[in-house]
Amino acid sequence: MISDLLSSILNADFLYSVIRITAPILFAALGAVVAEKAGVTNIGLEGIMMISALFGVLFGYWTQSWFIGVVGAVVVGVLLALMIGFFAFKMKTDIVIGGIAVNMLGAGGTIFLLDMFTGMKGNTGSLVTRELLIPTVDIPLIKSIPFLGQVLSGHAVLTYLAFLLVWLIWVVLYKTPLGLNVRAVGENPNAATSIGVSVQKIKYIAIGISGALAGLGGAFMSMYYSQGWNSGMVAGRGFIALAATAMGRGEPVGTMLSSLLFGLAQALRTKVSGMQGVSSYLVSVIPYLVTIIGLVLYAISIKNKLKKRHPVAKGAE
Amino acid sequence: MEQEVIVEQKENVEQEDFVVQMRGISKVYPNGIAANKDVDFLLRRGEIHAIMGENGAGKSTLMKILFGLEQPTSGEILINGQPVAITSPSKAISLGIGMVHQHFMLVPSLTVAENIVLGMAPTDKSRLLVDYKKAVQIAEENASRYNLRVDPNAKVMDIPVGMKQKVEILKALVRGAKILILDEPTAVLTTQETSELFKELIALKDQGFTIVFISHKLKEIKQITDRLTIMRSGRSMGVYNTADISENEISRLMVGRDVVLKVVKDKSQPTDTVLKVRDLEYTNRWNKKMLDKLSFSVRKGEILGIAGVEGNGQRELVEMLFNLNVPDAGTVTVDGESIINLSQDKIRDRGVSLVPEDRMTYGIADIASIEENVISDRFSTKRFNKGPLFDMRAIHNESKTLIVDYRILAKSHKQQVKMLSGGNIQKVVVARELSSKPTLLIVDQPTRGIDVGATEFIRNEIVELSRSGTAVLLVSADLNEVIELSDSLIVMYGGKIAAYFEDSSQLDDETMGEYMLGLKHQTEEEIAKVCYE
Amino acid sequence: MNDRRLLLFSLVRGLAAILLALAVATIFIFISSDEPLNALKYLLLGPVVSFKVSGNVFNTTSFLTILAAMIPTIFSGLAVCVMFSANQFNLGGEGAIMLGGFVGALLGIYLKLNTGLHQVVCVLAGALAGGLIMLIPAVLKVKLGASEMVTSLMMNYVVMFVILHFLNFVFADRSKGATQTFPFQETAKIPEIVANGTKLTWGFVIALIFVVIIALFMYRTKWGYAIRMIGINQSFAQYSGMQVGTVIILSQVIGGMLSGMGGSIEVLGRFNTFLWRELPGYGWLGITIAILAKNNPIFVPFAAFFIAYLNKGCDLMATYSDVPSEMIDIIQAAIFLFFAAEQFLAKYRQKIVVRNAQRDLALQESAASQGGKI
Repeated sequence: MISDLLSSILNADFLYSVIRITAPILFAALGAVVAEKAGVTNIGLEGIMMISALFGVLFGYWTQSWFIGVVGAVVVGVLLALMIGFFAFKMKTDIVIGGIAVNMLGAGGTIFLLDMFTGMKGNTGSLVTRELLIPTVDIPLIKSIPFLGQVLSGHAVLTYLAFLLVWLIWVVLYKTPLGLNVRAVGENPNAATSIGVSVQKIKYIAIGISGALAGLGGAFMSMYYSQGWNSGMVAGRGFIALAATAMGRGEPVGTMLSSLLFGLAQALRTKVSGMQGVSSYLVSVIPYLVTIIGLVLYAISIKNKLKKRHPVAKGAE
Repeated sequence: MEQEVIVEQKENVEQEDFVVQMRGISKVYPNGIAANKDVDFLLRRGEIHAIMGENGAGKSTLMKILFGLEQPTSGEILINGQPVAITSPSKAISLGIGMVHQHFMLVPSLTVAENIVLGMAPTDKSRLLVDYKKAVQIAEENASRYNLRVDPNAKVMDIPVGMKQKVEILKALVRGAKILILDEPTAVLTTQETSELFKELIALKDQGFTIVFISHKLKEIKQITDRLTIMRSGRSMGVYNTADISENEISRLMVGRDVVLKVVKDKSQPTDTVLKVRDLEYTNRWNKKMLDKLSFSVRKGEILGIAGVEGNGQRELVEMLFNLNVPDAGTVTVDGESIINLSQDKIRDRGVSLVPEDRMTYGIADIASIEENVISDRFSTKRFNKGPLFDMRAIHNESKTLIVDYRILAKSHKQQVKMLSGGNIQKVVVARELSSKPTLLIVDQPTRGIDVGATEFIRNEIVELSRSGTAVLLVSADLNEVIELSDSLIVMYGGKIAAYFEDSSQLDDETMGEYMLGLKHQTEEEIAKVCYE
Repeated sequence: MNDRRLLLFSLVRGLAAILLALAVATIFIFISSDEPLNALKYLLLGPVVSFKVSGNVFNTTSFLTILAAMIPTIFSGLAVCVMFSANQFNLGGEGAIMLGGFVGALLGIYLKLNTGLHQVVCVLAGALAGGLIMLIPAVLKVKLGASEMVTSLMMNYVVMFVILHFLNFVFADRSKGATQTFPFQETAKIPEIVANGTKLTWGFVIALIFVVIIALFMYRTKWGYAIRMIGINQSFAQYSGMQVGTVIILSQVIGGMLSGMGGSIEVLGRFNTFLWRELPGYGWLGITIAILAKNNPIFVPFAAFFIAYLNKGCDLMATYSDVPSEMIDIIQAAIFLFFAAEQFLAKYRQKIVVRNAQRDLALQESAASQGGKI
């Protein structure tokens, strides 16, 4: 049985699916990375994904263009994130509460809005036709490489975008003036204020970007992965993204790796659920357990680092 | 001596060329405290000017006003003869004023070059990416021009404190500052780093910069400044040419009380030793030795005061007495048993109470009621618990009694503590800490920032407690308080005890100043007397 | 007196927030419905009024079902009150509820005990299970500083999938179409107070009893006191000698126990078998309730009623009108945002605070002139 499992994992189709499954998690996780760098905790990613996913489909259907649909999803994501920001920065609502509020909106408000706009109940049924899906691309040279070609070519445009964004976000954070400001605001807001950088403006920008990325994740789900919107489709990916960021230490590349881990676990689960004698449920547990273990290891390593610098009084931690 | 001559020549030849004039500056806070009272401050172009004073004298406030971090209640500021309103740090920067704060405003994970150009980072041709090479270039150019050696590529979190300071100075210079304000710059530096800094400052002065140097360190001021302004209790005590005034004269002007507030108390009759601190040592994480073989004792029935300008190890000492920090070496015992690294509940069980310096962080839970605050050290005792539940009657009795006994002005015991005035908040803390009838009471800046009535009351309570047998350790930067309230006192300087006076009632301000500012230091034998062995 | 004015202000502000949230809902109703007034009628009045041709009548049955719906949410609300009071953003209530329900259910199926004892054992087991599972995020937070929010969110999924595994592979009743366990024994089920099909079981009474217990716990015991002080100012609590780590763990374990208890009471009261196939959602409702109750257990039943009422109203609105029942989520989200906004109407609060301060100063001056006597 193990050998069966192994052989089915180590084939190109499986690895292809891992990449595909990772993409939406990666989008949201990158959103969390950008927000965290500015010192902002956006736990509303789940809700943003849900709502953006819906609007992606709606805009796409109304304009009959998948591209506008995706753009629409991004715009909605940004607006939602800015709303969380407004309530957190201006109205002093706890930002975690604001995030939970958006998650609630995402859970039920979407069904409501779908009904309101189209009269459909709970899913978009046949609204999303083939032409409205995000197109896949076969990359000319790569697709001819044996094994790797099958793994890497033929993904949706957005899939490639997700992984491209890992590098892009890294560049923005570490190579642009905006990135410098974001990291300054996140680490030492006083330093930023003392040279005239508006901390609030930067936080809005950061949370806005996280909303845009979550929007892309949502669009990916509804306009490609699930080929339509339904109320259960994001299924906690927004929360998994938070965990992936935590495990990736808030850095783009680390987050990509932990997102891949989650994607792997989820692909495994699908693979295994058909098999005899292996519980897909138990396999589903793996990514979450791995996160907890990852967080524990991370926390231990930080503790050791601090201890080396200077001994802290017992109980004064 | 060359400096002297140049200064004199300037005086004779030119009209007064004041780059900064602050006239009649007053700053009164909403709670009534006046940090600056009608202060005049005149800064000549191209000089290094020191502002001296003890903590609370108002020197930091004055400079914060100059840098736009605070607004004066009244008075005017002229830059190059033009009246200006400095409404924010950005405005100050645009006027050519730069400030290096005591607590650095740097981003730890960014490199030195990135910190220097933050907010004005050079971009490359695409206008999107930071031209990092250019940033490094800017850093290096300025570093060499002003002789401030830094490593542009090092991350700020990895560089030593001395270099961090240079980065801060460069930050200001790169933004066009012609006037540099340095707030207690040598507080965190080692001796080596201090001399390096001084060389750099003199070089800057030679290049035409004007430097304001906030400090209370006499020797340093004497080394590099041209003129100095002395502040005391919010007022200016005058401006002097550094060369013309002696350290003793400075000390006398800096350290002195306008009004001597006598505390009425009968002579103490101390008995057994309660607190024994022996050979306490501590080096902080910036490698500065804050406690250097500190040894002293406190006895039952006496108030031992610790005087000294802040930053000489007092804070670290108090932290160690209450397990907020751990010493590198040495012992601390109360009634013979060690309290180092003991959890706070056990320390309290040994009969130690603390009125902390930072009452808002440690002393109270602001949105909780007075009652809840005042029982926080005793809420789990049998006295207040009947089985699993609180004995509310006992608790109400306790809080109401304490409110009356300690004259806490409030609507009821249920009122939120944060609604009280500062003095009353402190009375809540004092009520709790003193009413537990401790063996050892530590009070750290007990009357800072509170009104006269509360101050008087709290001091009387401390005396009463002491006379009833408690050993009291009083740490205070307020000269009046530490001289008048203590029975005996020690002066801390540079992590050591500089002096011990068995009878503080006979002390004069001049002597205090000399020890507090490091001009004098008693012999080992005289100091050892405070161990009562 | 001044504090009373501030209290009044808090109340008014809370009401304003709720009204604002309802206003938002109304706007949506007007946009999406062809018969908005009818929809509103069902939303606001429907839960307790029967609209008959002969006249409107108070609908007792409906009212009772609302009370029944409050049972799990009261427990969940209490759990969150305790945890949030210690400033722990533990979101693991969902998992604890489901686990409590499952453990209670299993004991209800397989254990043979007399009635009375059976239910007690099942519910206590559910509570214990809930408490134990919360140990994980709690200990990780205290010993390692790991975010209790992320770990508790992860635990929710771990618990859910493990339960689903056992549900599907070990305890499933294969004779039934949908996946569910074998039926509970009659001795384990929690009976209705009045056998009228409203599912208003004795669990409601137990819930109210626990409201009192937890209120006493939070405000009349040393543990509750410590939890609250630590939540307000951890440094202060530490310096005062409180065992901060232990109490933080305690707060989350108690939260878990309450959640587990609520889960088992709900499962054994409402159903005949265990048939939850996903996280039941009471955890999130509990957070809304705790926010409305401002972490005060005494207000939990009121907040729970309010939420249950609105929930029912949304369901009725969906049945008799054309507005989807998910409106409840929009309302909840709006309540969250407005209710928890500290700055909401802050200007007015500022006026009160300033007036208070001036009054205090005046009192002080007069007291000082009288020689310090109040």
